[in-house]
Amino acid sequence: MTRVDAAAKVTGTAGYTVDVDLPGMLHAKVLRSPHAHALVRSIDVEAAAAAPGVRAVLTRDDLIAPLVASASYGYFIKDQPILALDRVRYIGDPVVAIAATTEREAVAALELVRVEYEPLDAPSTIDEALADGAPELFPEAPLGIVPAYGQGASGALRPAPNVCYRFAYETGSASAFDECDHVFTDTFDFDGRQQHVHLEPFVAVAQWTPDDRLEVWSSCQNAFPVRKELGRVLGLSEARIRLRVPFIGGGFGAKNGCKTEPIAALLARKAGAPVRYCLTNDENFLTQRQHNARITVTTGVMDDGTLIARRAQVLLDAGAYADASPLVAEKAGYRIAGPYKWKHIDSVCDAVLTATTPSGPFRGFGGTQASFACESQLDMIARRLGIDPVQLRMRNLLDLHEPYVPGESGMDSDLRAGLDLVAEAIGWSHDRPAGRGRGLAIGFKDSGGVNKPAQARVKVSTSGDVFLHCGTVEIGQGITTALREVVARILGVPIARVHWPQTDTDHSPFDQGTNASSGVSVMGQAVERAALAARSKVLEFAAGALERPVHELDLDDGFVVAGDERHPLAPMVMRTYGGTGFEFTGEGFFKAEEDHRAPLETQCVSWEYGWGAAEVEVDEETGLVTVHRLVVSGDAGVALHHDVCRGQDEGAALMGYGGAMFETMRYDGARLANGEMVSYRPARAVDVPAEFVSILQEQGHGPGPFGSKGMGEGAMLPVGPAIANAIEDAIGVRVTRTPFTPENVLAAIDERDRRAAEAAR
Amino acid sequence: MSAEVPVRLTVNGNEIAVEVPTSEMLFDTARDRLGLTGANLGCDHASCGACTMIVDGDPRASCSTFTWAAEGAEVTTIEGLGGDSPVQRAFADRSAFQCGYCTPGLIMTTTAMLAEIPEPDETTIREWISSNICRCTGYAMIIEAAQAAAEESCA
Repeated sequence: MTRVDAAAKVTGTAGYTVDVDLPGMLHAKVLRSPHAHALVRSIDVEAAAAAPGVRAVLTRDDLIAPLVASASYGYFIKDQPILALDRVRYIGDPVVAIAATTEREAVAALELVRVEYEPLDAPSTIDEALADGAPELFPEAPLGIVPAYGQGASGALRPAPNVCYRFAYETGSASAFDECDHVFTDTFDFDGRQQHVHLEPFVAVAQWTPDDRLEVWSSCQNAFPVRKELGRVLGLSEARIRLRVPFIGGGFGAKNGCKTEPIAALLARKAGAPVRYCLTNDENFLTQRQHNARITVTTGVMDDGTLIARRAQVLLDAGAYADASPLVAEKAGYRIAGPYKWKHIDSVCDAVLTATTPSGPFRGFGGTQASFACESQLDMIARRLGIDPVQLRMRNLLDLHEPYVPGESGMDSDLRAGLDLVAEAIGWSHDRPAGRGRGLAIGFKDSGGVNKPAQARVKVSTSGDVFLHCGTVEIGQGITTALREVVARILGVPIARVHWPQTDTDHSPFDQGTNASSGVSVMGQAVERAALAARSKVLEFAAGALERPVHELDLDDGFVVAGDERHPLAPMVMRTYGGTGFEFTGEGFFKAEEDHRAPLETQCVSWEYGWGAAEVEVDEETGLVTVHRLVVSGDAGVALHHDVCRGQDEGAALMGYGGAMFETMRYDGARLANGEMVSYRPARAVDVPAEFVSILQEQGHGPGPFGSKGMGEGAMLPVGPAIANAIEDAIGVRVTRTPFTPENVLAAIDERDRRAAEAAR
Repeated sequence: MSAEVPVRLTVNGNEIAVEVPTSEMLFDTARDRLGLTGANLGCDHASCGACTMIVDGDPRASCSTFTWAAEGAEVTTIEGLGGDSPVQRAFADRSAFQCGYCTPGLIMTTTAMLAEIPEPDETTIREWISSNICRCTGYAMIIEAAQAAAEESCA
């Protein structure tokens, strides 16, 4: 079966936000800070305002009532100003916005803006930000809240200077370390500041209607939360904002939360005309990135390899603003134990502010960083104890349905089955070709978001056509195929008869957003319930009309089937409701129940795993790592569409591969050195390992419709540690710093040689 | 503003005469003057390939090709493939896309490759499509689609 979006996408007719073109539409551009940290002394826009084509100029002076109710936005911490207020906090921080008839005129006018800065010291790394007496990016605490936590978990705002959030989790007693035969402490530098490289940039189009409503088209992953935050910032009630989301040209997490929307809305207000605010791809690099991290893991273990206790300190580089860092900190801190049996876990994760591009949601969401440290150290421990790394994992993995930690939901995949599969596929038990090494890893994250509500509506028309209304957006993941398939199966119609209008906050049922691999496991359950409710309504109606019990009836493509009889639905409906017909509507809602025993206040809806294995060769002269074979495997539970699921695994794996091997935003101090696509170089087809194998599992234990579960992030997680483990297998050198560039690998080789020389003396 | 120059070119088989600023790129001419919106603007540096069009047989980044430089050229955009070309069919049938933003460009590059090399091996396909970034798929399904299109075209 082809995907439902195939025709639009192979013909170029698929419409994205970049394609929205309104009559009289203006174009916006912003002036960005050249300083990493500076006070903004003055802004002079007089010449710019008079420049050709300019229709509106926006500065901090406009960010007051009545235009603006709150000058700053954010997730849990409202610290990011729409435009710079008293200071700028990274190179690229927006300072002035201009709307003009063309983008070219807006750019030209920005050249005429004069800004006087007073530069301040800029902490550009975790170490600099945490140093005694470090300059503070926020001398005063911004407005923020800590979400509710349950058993063993806690959060804190600004626990230390330049730390915007701390998450902590503890279970069991720390005395468990005392009973261990060995306690190992290792530190890992996840130095990958990966850029999402969603090819469609951040973009929004805004206009104000004659009845004074704000209409926005946005390439965003979470329309309803953006509507809410826009309303808070602009002082508008929800009914005065309408947000629509066309097809999205990639997001990978970046397009959660306000980005271009506030500036587009404010310029449209000031200009009295529609405004399109579309970043360049270079500006994406100045807007959002992945968190780099330093992770120290202490693990207590018995001689036979039984894991006992785990302590972890995670430092995430949040960049200049909190954005989603509190949530990423929560996830990194919570997931650091991995899917293993422990008597004791305690972890602390700090999100550290630095004067660099703000970090935010990125596929894997803290899990990539945690899995790298966790799965690297497991192999190190296996070597130290002389135990096979696969056996070490097999001994300690959680069982199917076994809770992750006390109060938490159980594992919804058989972890050992997945490990067996990739071990077999990499030839684990066979001899390595000369000069090559092999490594394995299991990536791990909770899936489906936390405390996330989803609503859906399914309508069955007179003739049996079906309308699915839900707010999940098609960002490439194939959700419009997968969930239409669910509805089609339940209502007995071909998928072509299921129509799904794009997200429109005026009409779509509420949804918290397209993120956390929640489309199938959370929204999928709401859609399933809505379809079942609609089906019940149709069948109950038919039962009355046909004077047959409901349980004898079924639906089949516009017909009600009763044994051998087939009754067309349309005439039956029109006999009762009149010639124009009727629609049967089913509503569906799903949310995990609140549960204070669960550390995150609700049990996780699902768990996502990525099993990975790599075979590598390392040139010890140059430090060049060649990955000859990469195997990844995810579990779809039940694949609602095979190609969609396969594509999610392979896309995630290659993104993980790029991050593991070469992709990172490089900073020279606080200055981004490779902030565009040529020198950043996202993974291309020639980079794909010679043998790239993905194995789609359908273990059938998912919470979603028919046993399905979310995927799309899992296969990203094991790639880095599997390669690191393979490197050590090949040359006996442990690389603890990502990405595995020749530079980082050579540094590890030199360190080994230095230690060997020391030992020989 | 740069001076305007007359340019004649053939786009999807239609002869076109336009007056364009010397700074105008083929991408903008197609989108703003000819209503051909299938190509997408990605990096704007001829690095990502999302805007690829075929110009006199070669895949070109239309974001970085001056319209005046296409004087007299035969230009094919995604719209010019008709919607059901072997390459388009292969991409659709094999789900060789996800968000779809890079897809028109990848289809143009693949089409140009098959016109020049009807039976490419896997290495050749990888090298050709490396001019185009797809952040979603991991490329394997795109390579398979290119192989399927080659087989169909040769059959």
